[in-house]
Amino acid sequence: MSSAKTIPWPAVPIPKPEEVYAGLSDQAKDYPLFLESICRQSHNFEKPEALSRLRVYDTTTRMMIGHWCSSMLSELGAEVIQIEPPGGDPMRKLTPFGRKEYMFTDKETGEPVGAHFLHEMRNKMSVTLNLETEEGREIFKKMAVHTDIIIENDPPGHRDSLGIGYRQLKEINPRLIYCWVGQLGQWGPHKDKPGMLDPVAQAACGFCHGTGDPKEFGGTPMRSALWMADHVGGTQAAMGILAALYYREMVSNEGQFIEATSAEAIIRILDYSWAWYGMDGSIRPRFGNWDLAINIYAVNPCKDGYMMVGGGHDRLWYRIWRVVGDEHPAVEEDILGDPHLREVADRLAMNQQIKTYTMLGEWLKDNSRSDAERKLSKQQVASGGVLYVNEVAEYPHFKYRGHVAETESPHYGKILYGTTPFQQHKTPGRLKWMGRPTGYDNQDTYRRLLGFTSEDFTRLKQANVI
Amino acid sequence: MLLTCPSCKTKNFLDPYPFWNFKGTTQCAGCKKIWRLETSNGACVSGPEAASGTADLLPGFAETPAYEGISGTGLTRPAPRAQKETVCKPKAIKRNVRGNVIAGYPLTKNDLVGSRAKFMVAGAK
Amino acid sequence: MATDTAVSKTPQISFEEFCRKTFDPKGEFAKPEALKGIRVLSCTQYILGPSCASYLAELGAEVIKIEAPRRGEAMRHTTPFNEPFLYPLSKYVPERGTGLGFLGANPNEYFCSIDFHRPEGQNLVKKLAAKSDVFVENYRPGTFDRWGIGYRQLSAINPRLVYQWLGGFGGWGPGRVRASYDILGQSQGGNFGMTGKPEFMGGSPAKHTIWLADYWGGMMGAVQVLASLYYRDKISGEGNFIEYSQVHGVTRQLEYALPLYGRHGITRERWGTWDTQLCVHGIIKCGKSSYPNSDNPQESEEGYILISASGDEDFARLCKTVGDGNIASKYAKADARVKAEAQLEIYPFLEKWAADKTKEDVANILDKANILNQPVWNAKEVATNPHWQQRGAVRWLDDPYYGDLLHQGPGYKMSQTPPRLKWAMKPVGADNESILGKLAGLTPEDIKRLEDQECI
Repeated sequence: MSSAKTIPWPAVPIPKPEEVYAGLSDQAKDYPLFLESICRQSHNFEKPEALSRLRVYDTTTRMMIGHWCSSMLSELGAEVIQIEPPGGDPMRKLTPFGRKEYMFTDKETGEPVGAHFLHEMRNKMSVTLNLETEEGREIFKKMAVHTDIIIENDPPGHRDSLGIGYRQLKEINPRLIYCWVGQLGQWGPHKDKPGMLDPVAQAACGFCHGTGDPKEFGGTPMRSALWMADHVGGTQAAMGILAALYYREMVSNEGQFIEATSAEAIIRILDYSWAWYGMDGSIRPRFGNWDLAINIYAVNPCKDGYMMVGGGHDRLWYRIWRVVGDEHPAVEEDILGDPHLREVADRLAMNQQIKTYTMLGEWLKDNSRSDAERKLSKQQVASGGVLYVNEVAEYPHFKYRGHVAETESPHYGKILYGTTPFQQHKTPGRLKWMGRPTGYDNQDTYRRLLGFTSEDFTRLKQANVI
Repeated sequence: MLLTCPSCKTKNFLDPYPFWNFKGTTQCAGCKKIWRLETSNGACVSGPEAASGTADLLPGFAETPAYEGISGTGLTRPAPRAQKETVCKPKAIKRNVRGNVIAGYPLTKNDLVGSRAKFMVAGAK
Repeated sequence: MATDTAVSKTPQISFEEFCRKTFDPKGEFAKPEALKGIRVLSCTQYILGPSCASYLAELGAEVIKIEAPRRGEAMRHTTPFNEPFLYPLSKYVPERGTGLGFLGANPNEYFCSIDFHRPEGQNLVKKLAAKSDVFVENYRPGTFDRWGIGYRQLSAINPRLVYQWLGGFGGWGPGRVRASYDILGQSQGGNFGMTGKPEFMGGSPAKHTIWLADYWGGMMGAVQVLASLYYRDKISGEGNFIEYSQVHGVTRQLEYALPLYGRHGITRERWGTWDTQLCVHGIIKCGKSSYPNSDNPQESEEGYILISASGDEDFARLCKTVGDGNIASKYAKADARVKAEAQLEIYPFLEKWAADKTKEDVANILDKANILNQPVWNAKEVATNPHWQQRGAVRWLDDPYYGDLLHQGPGYKMSQTPPRLKWAMKPVGADNESILGKLAGLTPEDIKRLEDQECI
């Protein structure tokens, strides 16, 4: 298990400002330089944090939705205390294909943690507490006085039956914002399905059925590689929490109960699926990497991978074919001569999409992703290749802006990570640290919140309470 | 890949995903002749040469040189669709799946009260 | 059974009943709104910007959507397979409709039309912005600045303004001039390349259906707007500028991919409908269709189901249910099961077992064995599911303009200030008179003149 870096990042140097803005007039440079001056992440620590006065207990385990939600809050400055069962959240042990050698190891204790969990433990403190013990629950109730927000994902009603649910804790702390997160919800006919994890939500909301190639093209329903419904659900939960916070501060001085589910978060954003069914009984089909509602707007194979080309309306449509026509005049001629491709609406027909992308393929097969993008961008057509992780990590624009960056963790060494997209002028999001070993913050947290003594720690540790 | 039928000049659209790397036979949607071909990365590397038997994979769509579309059972592969039939042009929908009024058809100015459809305002069922 | 004091304090009503009452969608309108009094100008098009503003509208903000006069914004002209439209597009063109692509990104909003290109239109925007709390736009970076209605100009007029720009690549850096759409964001951000079946399974990279990077990106924008409003009103009194790049958002989502690349040089590959970190935790095909007689191909195709039994006990139970001792003993341990070779053996084995079953058959059998499963539901199965209907996730909406629509509800629930759905959308410029009269002081004559000139 080596923690030595095996590859250098960046492999290619990050572009310098003078290269990026070379040859531009002062006027053309003015706005991007202004934005850069107010948004660059290197200025972040000179600025305040939007949520720095807030404390959050993330008491979720085994799922990503809660961790994602508290990540959003922690990136915006909230003090997030991750409360894990003794021994840590089982998610710490997850690693792709069970490969232990891919885990990150704490330099001091040798405790391993999977990269997935680590990536979401940003800016969070780790505290252990066993809520399944009577004493653990008493401690939790005392701690509830000190917090603004609690996030949990136990099976529906479990915390309530333990006496530490919303109904009990709001009596202790009326300003508490209490958020339950999960896949299908705490009430309703399907609430009691056993131990749920993404992609349950992806399958239960119509997302999987609508993703992937249609059967007619030899495809099957597809899930996102990511636990994506949890990301969307966690973001919705964060939105609910912030709205509750705003209302508490501005109006009510009281907290409230929030429930966010991964499936409903996706249902909310599954655009027209429901209205379409409601209008005439249509069931949204899968359509692979093409789009039901726009042509050209698709990813298709090209010389060295897969290429996105987009431009549905007339202006862009003709520009795209002009680019193609430079190399394949016959293709452009055929498209321009086709009476069925003149109107935007006509092009949406299934058959017209097949024709469009077959003809575009005649050009794409000779063009690499970067060639195609260069040629199309001259005509201001939005396009770009499907990038793989190594390409994302090295993409000059991302490196320049710091979408991908490296942090030096005191526990785990250098970690390459996806930075917060919360780029702002006044209160930008930021990374302060990436992950902590299990229970690393026990001493600090319990002492300052509850006045624990060394004896308390020894006794509670032995009783498996912390 | 575009397969212009050597025999009848029909433009057969061998759509990119299934035909990008393909080895086997397909059928011209115009004259139903079977063609054997091999493609690699979107380009034809051998064929098309005349073959017999049934096609391994039908084209997605086809057109005559005069832009008349050819599709249908036995000619092209079926299209993904949301209903029994794919219409691909605006449908006039006056009632939704549960039989209630919905403004899903083109109106005239006379159909309006302000910006709203008269039958909405009047609550007509 | 439990006798400790905390439990005895619990009211008689069961927790589920409590939740049902607390979150009942029918009670939404009896409760206050979290963002009452917050005014949002939404100068947005497509999905990324509009959805951001719409989440605020669900929370009770007064969101004023400003579109191009007459034709409205581009998304109104997209609809699946060009089939369903809702009429009228505007009072000027009743014979044209708004496509369903527009739905879901603009509920609860007021609709004004202003031509940003004209000085008179720009003046109107300034007047509205002076009285607004939030300004959302997603034009190419610098466009509004050039028109004199960007962050620099508007924050001078209204220092409390929270200015949210959303877009593809951000307004600075080497790629700043690149236009973007949702699937371009997905392509370049990295989640596209990881999703789908790997080549050896005969697959290619797959996009996420929905305009995910747009709809979810708008959500990330709304989170920042809410945080900025809190900071403004509680702490600083100042507005903010927020730049959200949707590609950046997608890159943020990549889970373990970047750390593993940085440490080991591993490029995360696609793994189809299975899971890289847990097994069994994947979607399998069931051989039989649930609706063999349906003439809709979406129903007559075979069913799919997610099966999850990643714990050792669950897996043993699954194998017992399916009836195989060989695989059970070979892969009794989670670490052994999750390996790629093991997955390549386990899932086909499960598919073989399910080959003569519908997804409901499989679900029934697994439910009895207490094994987590979730049939892959299609849009109709979701829309008509009592669970989602009771919870208001999908609901019938009596829309004042367009009639009886099936519509998605908000994606989360709140006990005191629930987000809610009021109307799906309105025709282009439907609220010109009320909003521009109220906020910009236009008289009915002004409005008539400007409408005739197609300035609004």
